[in-house]
Amino acid sequence: MIQHQIALIKREFWEHRSIYITPIAIASIVTLGTLAALMFASGFAKELDVAIFGAQNLAGEAERRVALTGFFLSSSWLFLFALAILTVFYSLDSLYAERKDKSILFWRSLPITDAETVISKLITAIVVIPVVAVGAIIATHLVNLIIASIWVATKGGDAGLLIWGSVPLIDNWLAALVVVLATGIWMSPFIGWFLFVSAFTKRSPLLMAFMPLVLIPLLEGIFLRSSVFAEAVFGRGGVMPIFRELDLEQFFNEDHMRVNEEMISLLAHLDIVKFFTSGGTWAGIIVCGLLTTGAIYVRRFRDES
Amino acid sequence: MTSLVSAQGVTKRFGSFTAVDNVSFEIEKGRILGLIGPNGAGKTTLLKALLGLTDCEGQLSVMGLDPFKQRKALMQNICFIADVAVLPRWIKVSQLLDFVEQIHPNFSRDRAHELLRQTKIMSNSKVKELSKGMVTQLHLAIIMSIDAKLLVLDEPTLGLDIIFRKEFYANLLSDYFDEERTILVTTHQVEEIENLLTDIMFINDGKVLLDSPMEAIEDSYVELLTSGEDAIKAKGLGPIAVNEMFGKSVMLYEGISRDHLEGLGELRTPAVADLFVAKVKGARQ
Repeated sequence: MIQHQIALIKREFWEHRSIYITPIAIASIVTLGTLAALMFASGFAKELDVAIFGAQNLAGEAERRVALTGFFLSSSWLFLFALAILTVFYSLDSLYAERKDKSILFWRSLPITDAETVISKLITAIVVIPVVAVGAIIATHLVNLIIASIWVATKGGDAGLLIWGSVPLIDNWLAALVVVLATGIWMSPFIGWFLFVSAFTKRSPLLMAFMPLVLIPLLEGIFLRSSVFAEAVFGRGGVMPIFRELDLEQFFNEDHMRVNEEMISLLAHLDIVKFFTSGGTWAGIIVCGLLTTGAIYVRRFRDES
Repeated sequence: MTSLVSAQGVTKRFGSFTAVDNVSFEIEKGRILGLIGPNGAGKTTLLKALLGLTDCEGQLSVMGLDPFKQRKALMQNICFIADVAVLPRWIKVSQLLDFVEQIHPNFSRDRAHELLRQTKIMSNSKVKELSKGMVTQLHLAIIMSIDAKLLVLDEPTLGLDIIFRKEFYANLLSDYFDEERTILVTTHQVEEIENLLTDIMFINDGKVLLDSPMEAIEDSYVELLTSGEDAIKAKGLGPIAVNEMFGKSVMLYEGISRDHLEGLGELRTPAVADLFVAKVKGARQ
């Protein structure tokens, strides 16, 4: 079973090369952006000296951590955005392409069940693609920090203190991992829906997937004058129950207007227990399970000829 | 001896259309069965039922398994090549071998390499870079590297030129087939394979018209080439088909002793294709 899953997931990488090409492309863009910014900043020699002096002597470690965390977050959102688009296209294509190129009967001639195949695609969408993206985020951070260290050193700054001493790497990376995996689970009813559409539609899965998401709220609004469906579906795009509410009073220590040490940790803002005890999380998992089962049944029972 | 495949009253309906109509047959181990029928006769539907790709009414058992309910177990011992089951175009030959090796317990990679060495297929080529003939060679190499008990071939050589077709069947016989294995093949080009079949089954409009070992064909059917007065006499003996060719009559008889026809003209065993045409026309009348 596990060996089959490994083989099936490996197969997804061969077929959908965008799973790793997209993160590599984003990593390259972010790195080029860093290089451009550093080159641009190098043009302001005087201001730079002041800034480096200030960062080394005036700012506390906590402020430096906040600044670097800010950089991490701003570079990570690009990955998360690309990840979301990639996952939509991947899951819509995953059970459609094999029917379009008629290879489905070849795959089904091998001793694997339809459930194993469909589950491998679900795992790819919910776990593998996010983990690959976090891997790319980590690699991007490391490369960018190394570039920034070299640059700071050439400008007379202390890279050890300014960058490596101030950077909450593990905290940031773990937080990124938790957030992308939680997002995968939170958004899993959509992924289940996309897999189901991908398994049954005869043409244009993208249109077939999004049309009901637009039409149903519209019809519900016109005829029932309610918006239950829209709230249930689009409400998921709102705040995921993984984030603690940010208490700004706590964030800044009022006396000194300095950043509260404990509050800079990204992980400190995440609440896994809250996430897994939220009714919304489990409702999503159940809907995803039902839709995935639907996809398995369609693949198993539909006659392709 | 128990049958490898046993079908009793197998029926498959699509709405009001009956694709396979109350079909019963047995296939013994170590046989090569040719399943012959015109387009839309129900061949592919029957094969799909055997492969567990579609459900059906009636009793169907393949190697003691219910194909639809126990498809995964069945696929460990069945291989199939179907014209419609094409290899994915994006995959590399080496990736394909990796995948099958990890999925199929009875696959021998060494054997696949050995078979592929006899072709021009490179392991780093993608399927989309190969010609149609080479793709079939690749598929056959994979299938022949799987130690399966039953091989199902559905129009395996469709669209290939004569050289590839001949090679395909030659390889199948010399490198694959033995008394432990059973092959079920459907094709339109029946004349190319009739001398390698041990059994033959005709199917038309979902019904079995003939199910017989090849050696029994010789005993049950005879073709008479005759003309003139002999032809008139011969017609009186109730041929199942009559064709006129170059001023001579070709008559096909079923279940009549050759002694009865002796002296009326030249006797020979009918070609499978001619027998098939006669049976299908007979069924339509």
